[in-house]
Amino acid sequence: MTRKFVLFLALIIATPLVLLGCVMFGASGIGLPDISTETGRAIMQLRANRVVVGFIVGAALSGAGVVFQAILRNSLAEPYILGVSSGAALGAAVAILTGFATVSVFALPITTFATASITLTTVFLLARKRGTPSVYNLILSGVIVSAVCSSVLMFLVSRAPTSGLHNITWWMLGNLQPTSGQLLAVSSVIIIIGTTAIWLMSPELNALALGRETAHNLGIRTDVMTVTGLALATMIASTAVGISGLIGFVGLIVPHVMRTVFGPTHKRLIPASALGGGLFLALCDAIARTVTSPEDIPVGVITAVFGGPFFLAILRKKGESNWSG
Amino acid sequence: MGNAVEFVNVSAGYHGTILLNNLTATVSEGQIVSIIGPNGAGKTTILRTITGLIHPAAGSVLLFGANVATMPSSTRARLVGVIPQNFDNPTAFTVEEIVMTGRTAMLNRWRQPSLKDRIAVERAMVYTDIVDMRRRPLVELSGGERQRTVIAMVLAQSPKLILMDEATSNLDMNHKLEIMQIVERLNRENGTTIIMVSHDLNIASEFSQQLLLIDKGRLVISGTPTEVLKENLLRRVYHCNVYVHQNSNGSISVSPEPRLTTHHSGKGQRIHVISGGGTGEELIRRLALCEYNVTCGVLNEGDSDAEVAAALNIDTALENPFSPIGKTALTKAEQMLQSAETIVICGVPFGTGNLANLKLAAQALNQGKRVLAMAGIEDRDYTPSKEAQRIVAELKTKGILFWNTMTDLLDMLNTQIQNQAT
Repeated sequence: MTRKFVLFLALIIATPLVLLGCVMFGASGIGLPDISTETGRAIMQLRANRVVVGFIVGAALSGAGVVFQAILRNSLAEPYILGVSSGAALGAAVAILTGFATVSVFALPITTFATASITLTTVFLLARKRGTPSVYNLILSGVIVSAVCSSVLMFLVSRAPTSGLHNITWWMLGNLQPTSGQLLAVSSVIIIIGTTAIWLMSPELNALALGRETAHNLGIRTDVMTVTGLALATMIASTAVGISGLIGFVGLIVPHVMRTVFGPTHKRLIPASALGGGLFLALCDAIARTVTSPEDIPVGVITAVFGGPFFLAILRKKGESNWSG
Repeated sequence: MGNAVEFVNVSAGYHGTILLNNLTATVSEGQIVSIIGPNGAGKTTILRTITGLIHPAAGSVLLFGANVATMPSSTRARLVGVIPQNFDNPTAFTVEEIVMTGRTAMLNRWRQPSLKDRIAVERAMVYTDIVDMRRRPLVELSGGERQRTVIAMVLAQSPKLILMDEATSNLDMNHKLEIMQIVERLNRENGTTIIMVSHDLNIASEFSQQLLLIDKGRLVISGTPTEVLKENLLRRVYHCNVYVHQNSNGSISVSPEPRLTTHHSGKGQRIHVISGGGTGEELIRRLALCEYNVTCGVLNEGDSDAEVAAALNIDTALENPFSPIGKTALTKAEQMLQSAETIVICGVPFGTGNLANLKLAAQALNQGKRVLAMAGIEDRDYTPSKEAQRIVAELKTKGILFWNTMTDLLDMLNTQIQNQAT
């Protein structure tokens, strides 16, 4: 058994334990609530829900990050930085405010996927002068497109009825409070299917990470695989945004750490990042619930506190030429 | 043995630029073939048509008898593998992982790599002697080790044809030979066909049975090294003088003639250069380096030739920018020609604006001065009445001399000086 294998096993075993641990943290105090009382059961239910949402969303964002990084060969590619999240958020806000989201349980995931795909395409076209866009161009156009999406979102919020206002603001900052059990179930299924699909693409992602021409020579249909990979990553990231709002940097931090531990081979990297991302976000949320207890703070604030410096560190260390962890 | 690759009237390029023009050639199975030619000749384009990365705009490329354009990519990957010049990969992939990606087309996505895959990877690593570094990340390896890893990756692909795109260009002598030996062994033991693009004509001639000489997207000649490596052919294609030696061990070596740098061959000689639009830049520089006493003109101000002349402190007859040659400039140029022994006409096109320069040269020839013109003035005649053509026809009867490359010209100038000396 190699060292990597042991660590991987440890990660799998740690996952349920850490999630269980997260349930012990909440606005009502640290420790398991007394489930013999009505209130205790309600609190327990609420916390468990949030841990599950945190895990699913974290796994999705982190898995999407891995795919973006491999296909764009860019160490800083991540749903939040690429503007995919803002695009999805804008779509979600429109769907919620217009009431389209209530038409069907699939309405929200479909809208977020559509707007996120449009956003990613725009970012890509803006960043590209000729051929593959550079790391910096991609980040720059991601920031610009994100800013535009955010300001439209702000506009919508300012016009929204007061009752919805608080919800949307909260949601823009990232919030793991599940809206409906049905939406959570549908979103989870989409995310699980999407993540499994990208995991099955591991050999292709490995080859694509070596460059498109090499991948072509190794027998990959690079155009088909690039589009499929980006579409799947966008799908899981936008679905995650649909349930949790804007949460940044998870797709950046977790894949980086996992790559240094488990190496860049996607067969191992994708499940490790999904598990790691889930754990990371669940833990961040546990902090968000308790650090100013009994007040809650948005989990997006916590991930940004970790993510900002991390992002800068990678940017400074790696520069343009390098993209791996 | 059949053909590994067959090009049938292949034309190809990017974004409407044709880089490959009506190429027809065959590479037999089991051969080592080198594609040679100057930069930008279309060599890499040829390799890319074989791998289907570029689809021909016309014609077809047959890979072991089947059309590449309609071949599924996984089938193609089992037939042909590519060793690139650079395999710079910043990821932390280990040697073994890289070699395993060679099996991508064969892997079953639902399962772990099979025993067959593992054996192929092991054998490839043994073959290129990288077993010891299997767990090391590629980034830590030296250039030669990296190239061996890439070869192992291609071997794991087990293709019947391997393309090498300047695969040894970044390596030192020893590692170059090491890579070539691996490839030659593959060819000998497994019958793998090798097509390589190389700028190293000596390596190409030493290891190949067939050479394809390419220039400007066209096949110049295909044949054995002895047939292709001819001084006059190479000189025409590469635009420089080369020496070809048949060595005592049967191999052929090609070496470029050392370029004329500063020596005093031109001391005391007066030359007038007629050029324009950058056609004389290089020549003016070289003549100045050889210490000829150079004058130029008539040139328009702002012309790149005029700028080079000014930078080298060369006396130049100048006319206003974008204006036809006027009287003042012409008189100055005439005086320059009077005192020059030789007049050189560069590859400048002639129109009504600068035809006066050609007339000056004609006048000088009549006075018994030597006039050396770059061949093909007829094709550069843009005067409405084709007057330049008429003048050249007349000059030909009076002993004008023509040159094709700058090396030719410098030779002609040198012989003239030697003749005068004797």
